[in-house]
Amino acid sequence: MSIVSLRNIEKYYGEYHALRDVSVDIAQGEFFSLLGPSGCGKTTLLRTIAGFEDVTSGEVAIAGQEMAGVPANRRPTNMVFQSYAIFPHLSVAKNVAFGLRRRADIPKQSRATLVEDALNMVGLDGYGARRAHALSGGQRQRVALARALILKPKVLLLDEPLSALDKKMREQMQSELRRLQRHVGITFILVTHDQEEALTMSDRIAVMFEGRIAQMGSPEALYRRPETRAVAEFIGMMTFLEGRAASGTVEVEGLGRAEIAAPEGAVAVGVRPETLTLLAPGETAARETAGTVADRAYYGDMTYYDIALPGTDTRLTVSMKNRLSRAVLEPGTEVRLGWEPDALLVYAT
Amino acid sequence: MDTEARRGLLLISPTALYAVALLAMPLAAVLAISFATQDFLTIDWTPTLANYAEATGEPLYRQLLLRSVLIAGAVTLVTVLLAFPVAYYVSFYVAPSRKSLWLFLITIPFWTSYLIRVFLWKVILGFNGVFNTSLQGLGIVEEPLSFLLYNANAVVITLAHAFAPFAILPIFVSLERIDRSLLEAARDLGETYLTTFFRVTLPLAMPGVTAAVLIVFIPTIGDYVTPRLVGGPDGLMIANMIQTQFLRLNNAPLGATLAVLSMLTVGLISIAFVLLTRRWGRTQ
Repeated sequence: MSIVSLRNIEKYYGEYHALRDVSVDIAQGEFFSLLGPSGCGKTTLLRTIAGFEDVTSGEVAIAGQEMAGVPANRRPTNMVFQSYAIFPHLSVAKNVAFGLRRRADIPKQSRATLVEDALNMVGLDGYGARRAHALSGGQRQRVALARALILKPKVLLLDEPLSALDKKMREQMQSELRRLQRHVGITFILVTHDQEEALTMSDRIAVMFEGRIAQMGSPEALYRRPETRAVAEFIGMMTFLEGRAASGTVEVEGLGRAEIAAPEGAVAVGVRPETLTLLAPGETAARETAGTVADRAYYGDMTYYDIALPGTDTRLTVSMKNRLSRAVLEPGTEVRLGWEPDALLVYAT
Repeated sequence: MDTEARRGLLLISPTALYAVALLAMPLAAVLAISFATQDFLTIDWTPTLANYAEATGEPLYRQLLLRSVLIAGAVTLVTVLLAFPVAYYVSFYVAPSRKSLWLFLITIPFWTSYLIRVFLWKVILGFNGVFNTSLQGLGIVEEPLSFLLYNANAVVITLAHAFAPFAILPIFVSLERIDRSLLEAARDLGETYLTTFFRVTLPLAMPGVTAAVLIVFIPTIGDYVTPRLVGGPDGLMIANMIQTQFLRLNNAPLGATLAVLSMLTVGLISIAFVLLTRRWGRTQ
């Protein structure tokens, strides 16, 4: 049974159409992400689940209960806010215990232990007496998590929780959030604009554009088979080459002919950098195309090459894993490019 | 002394000189005179505590000081209680683009002189004033109400009106500083709108409320124009007695003593209040 069920959600702010016919079922224990550029409606959708926004039409149900008319304070959800919203006038322990006051089902005597356990869980043991303003960004984030999880919500909502952290901290929190989610078994719904974050943490991702869900699926399905060019552009890196489809083949500019079934006419052909190989001397591939290194970006573990191809101005981006045996190529080097028709993604233009 | 520190001192020196000449020196003079005695037309500078014995022993002075504290307390309570909803409304419900207009309008009472505003209240509250004639015109009362003017109520009403902007502005500023997501977080954690107000909004607005209380209480306890003009015999306060001692009875030392005692009272009450609110903030 799904823990969160959204049916045909429509949301208007005056004339502005913020959510368009959104329907999602999120399973118990799932790590679900709403991914999209800013202004796509992902935060609005999260806030309608939390009860901070009304829907214009459609149904929100949590754990089988219709949520229309149920205010935020009576919903079985808790939220980690983008700014963390740590109460500045309270100590860490009192922040974490904030929601317990309203919970008659949790006996008073066990509250101190619960707070301690919650702080332990997020790695903040011994921080209870600290004032909230004396915490770093990462610590605030942990307090916000402990404060929400201590209430054992059916669903935890996270609104861009990592966007305020630096890169190192963000990567550490990504794996920690994932570990925490498995540990507590609570459904997490994450809002993010960072596709890498969504890909590494989620069981399932919904990509949103302009208030609509463009595609929903596992991280791998979204990355490997984006259904539209917009999704393909948003997730991961992709170069688009012009092409022409006719009778079961596609003529791709710069690369050559590939046997792919596509509706006839002009098409855009998407190529992921890692599906291409720069062939070393003596190495061969089923399909080869000659090109020249136009530019390169060295990332340490990887090098990204921009390859100039004959007959097109579009530079094709190719990523190569750096190995000791393989020299980093200088711009101007003539190369042979190995590619596979299966890895090409064809979109109507 | 390094150049940085010297430059700093140079920058504040005009203000510091001004403060010493016009604040510290007069205060020191008042303190000095309070230990002297009036000997007909001259002042006897032999230090004595006789004035303090008289000021604390005479029931009239004690009563005036107590009344001043009570009136100032009532003014503060009324002003802050009425100012909070106004500040709350402007901060939470007025569109951001209109907030400065609202604040501008709130300062309208300052556009006329304090004295004229006090006279206006006389016109409003008087025996044949706006309030009484309206009530009579509406047939609510037969005879004009006589308890409106020339008593402590009139002093409280007039001062509460005059000090309203002083209370609204600091409370508004502290409300503006509250991150709105904190209120949503409280709601998310199970609090209703009302309990969110008492657990989050009010504690976070306390610095503004404390400032408002002090800004209203400290000047009103020593106010002398309003009780003189609208207070009648029951509304007279300690400042009126200080003036009487200095100018009518020609007893500057006793007047100075009363001034020192009322300053001490204000100081002690203010410190107690600040300490209490700070402790309340900690226990939250």
